[in-house]
Amino acid sequence: MRKLKVAAALGLAAVGVAALGLATAAFAQGASERVRKINLYTWPQAALPQSYQASQLIAQQWRQLGLDVEVKPLQRQAQTQLIWFSRDKWDATMWRMVGRPERSDPDEFLYSLYHSSYAEKGYNFIGYINPEYDKLAEKQRTQLDRDERRKTAFAMQEIINRDQPQAFLVHPKYPLAFNKAVFKEDTVVNQSGIGIRNIWTFLKIEPLGAQKDLIINSNETINATNPLYIGGAVDSWVTDLIWDRVMRIGPDGMPQPWAAESVSWADDKTVDVKLRAGMKWHDGKPVTVEDVIFSFEAPAGDKAPMYKPFVTDIAKIEKTGDLGLRFTLKQPNTTFLTASLAKINLIPKHIWEPVLKDLAGKPETAEQLKEVSWIGSGPFKMVRWKPTEEILLERNGEHFAAPKIERWIMRIVPNAEATLGMLKRGELNFIGIFGGDPEVLVKFAKENPDIAIRSEVDIGFEYVAFNNRRPPFDDVAFRRALSLAIDRRLMVSAAWQDYAIPANSHVSPVLTFWHDPAVDQLKTGIAEAKKILKDAGYRVVGGKLYYPVGKQEKLTTE
Amino acid sequence: MKLVLERFTHNALALLAVTTILFFMFRLMPGTPLAAFINENLNADQQQAMLEQFGLDRPMWQQYFIYLGNLVQGEFGLSFFQRRPVLDILLEVLPNSLILTLASLIIAYIFGVLAGAWLAWKRGSWIERVAVPAVLATRAAPEFWIGMVLLALLSFNAGWFPSGGASSPGLAYTNNWQRIASWDYLHHLALPVLTLALYLQGLPLLLMRSNMLEVMHEEFVTMARMKGFSEWRIVINHAARNALLPVVTAFALGVGLSMGGNVVIETVFSWPGIGRLLVQAVSVHDYPLAQGAFLMIALVLALMNFVADLLYMVLDPRVSHGRKG
Repeated sequence: MRKLKVAAALGLAAVGVAALGLATAAFAQGASERVRKINLYTWPQAALPQSYQASQLIAQQWRQLGLDVEVKPLQRQAQTQLIWFSRDKWDATMWRMVGRPERSDPDEFLYSLYHSSYAEKGYNFIGYINPEYDKLAEKQRTQLDRDERRKTAFAMQEIINRDQPQAFLVHPKYPLAFNKAVFKEDTVVNQSGIGIRNIWTFLKIEPLGAQKDLIINSNETINATNPLYIGGAVDSWVTDLIWDRVMRIGPDGMPQPWAAESVSWADDKTVDVKLRAGMKWHDGKPVTVEDVIFSFEAPAGDKAPMYKPFVTDIAKIEKTGDLGLRFTLKQPNTTFLTASLAKINLIPKHIWEPVLKDLAGKPETAEQLKEVSWIGSGPFKMVRWKPTEEILLERNGEHFAAPKIERWIMRIVPNAEATLGMLKRGELNFIGIFGGDPEVLVKFAKENPDIAIRSEVDIGFEYVAFNNRRPPFDDVAFRRALSLAIDRRLMVSAAWQDYAIPANSHVSPVLTFWHDPAVDQLKTGIAEAKKILKDAGYRVVGGKLYYPVGKQEKLTTE
Repeated sequence: MKLVLERFTHNALALLAVTTILFFMFRLMPGTPLAAFINENLNADQQQAMLEQFGLDRPMWQQYFIYLGNLVQGEFGLSFFQRRPVLDILLEVLPNSLILTLASLIIAYIFGVLAGAWLAWKRGSWIERVAVPAVLATRAAPEFWIGMVLLALLSFNAGWFPSGGASSPGLAYTNNWQRIASWDYLHHLALPVLTLALYLQGLPLLLMRSNMLEVMHEEFVTMARMKGFSEWRIVINHAARNALLPVVTAFALGVGLSMGGNVVIETVFSWPGIGRLLVQAVSVHDYPLAQGAFLMIALVLALMNFVADLLYMVLDPRVSHGRKG
């Protein structure tokens, strides 16, 4: 009996507590309405010090909005695994898109980063879905009139500025260096958004004295020298030089005829190409129209998945003469010149046809063949490749744009400081990538008058990716607030030591024609961010951020 | 002979254990080799095909036995990323690692043994008070730091040595032997060897010194003194010979240990050795290559362990005699 009484009393008490709980919930928007802790993933400090530093600063600024933020560094592989392959399991991550010559046409970033068709597997890993944006992305591909296309590109940048599906941080500036006592200074070519490490430099750079070799460094090894596969960041430095393409991205960022005398649009779905006369493969055989057609047909099957997307728009290719061919596209595609003609490596049919035939019906693709043949038609010929030491190319004197240097030698140097010692001692005479603090390189050049420095703002950018699939990031107001809370100038000076410019667009300001200056004026500040949250109904109670009334937290922090 | 066989079996079993641990360790690590093939164009079927091709779709125990079976036949498999036989890749860089390690160890041990014996002899003098802390300092200093300091002083500033690599840019050799015997290679080898030797000399030096101090109080040394032999003769012929025994073991083990521990030196000096290969293989989940590299290090370690056992039997008859009794 007594037990029963106690139980009843306890029951009553429980009800009372619950009621009290409800009351406080109503008053304080309830514990379940509080925004959960946000995990901000980043790279380890040692791997990318700037991004790491930036993530710490961002976390500080977000905390001022009443958010709990934990910065979680992950090794690159583990991060990729989580962000890329488990697309619904994360909140926010530091990320970067790197600049490449073919990204000088804004299409790759305009289209793949935010088009809904890439959300499940492709580059739109943040899961941004916006039919209005999709339409514009598709439209700009069909606009052959550059000024019209630019209007569309501007509209797209303004949508992204409005929606802030992620927070752009900076476009990095990369200083590179070369020895001006070895090479004539004005023969080094700057490619906009890329810098001086580009094919134009390697073709035009002129030795001043007896040293006729250009010796460049790389901080990582080459994974593959395969015209049908790019296995790592530096692989393309080499493949670019060995294999020709119908067009190339010029120093101004625009595609220009390369292995072709002319490339012209017959109508919005037809492109006529006239090849250069007299081109030869490195084995002495002539480059024929059949070779070129083969080069574009080879990736169409399943044997070169990396290059397949660049030929899927081709309906047919016909031979129109000894040097002429005509591409017919499935739909108008203004990016065809950049994304296909300037991208596909020309390969000799007599070598690759048997290789691909042999692969037919097997699970392997040509990507798994690390090195089949180094026969291309490009301005340099491969001589030797020692994966952990160096790669050595020799000038192709018969090429229509034969280089001035005798040999192009790339040394694998994992130690950034040692590259400076090598530059000083002549073991290197061109810095193709500098993994250390840019300030150190610039200071080094000041002390060594033979060393010239060239910096260029990158086409690529660093950003914080928000997972648009998950609350609270599915709310535009929340994303905008978090983005505006980040002080870009602080990022530039404190994290990137002024070797960057603030970013707010996926089209870099170096692409002057395509970049929309209107989005540059992003008004940032904690006060602004707080105002947006308040206007959207978010509340701060006891220093913590709560959802607007009616919205509840459904997820727990993992 | 029986003892030799026994020691051999021990080492073989140890290797099997290492192989097994390595195999499962890599596969239990988070992440898969597929993550490195980040590519929007690889569809699910192609990813599956790739898994099948790597044999990663089978149960782990099956993979393990296939791996063991191949190993017994001297087959290390294909590197996932380099698409070449693991053994070829390893043999390409193994000579560089062995030469770096052996040269450093030999220099470190010759110097260490002599200096250790000498310091023991100089016990209580001011030389000892300066030298012992100096040795301790070099032993405690991180390898990369010693390496960077040497690079800055002898390469960047003085310009006496190259700043990295194993040969000058663009030099070609008809074969590896010709390259190794060349002046250019030795010139490149000097700084990494000096760094590693500086780092390694502490152990034999201190070991030799303390052994010597112990031995010098033994009765047979007193006996030798009573016989009126010269001090040098006592040190070299009587004391040092006996003090050397533990140093021999340390040397043999040092070969194996520093084979794997050269990652830092190889990175600082851009030396094309097994350590850098290993780090790279682990970071991209290239299981066959990582396993092969670790196994190669374990093999050298086991081999040297075995050699140390044999040497010990030769140098100290008590080891084998004790067994018989």
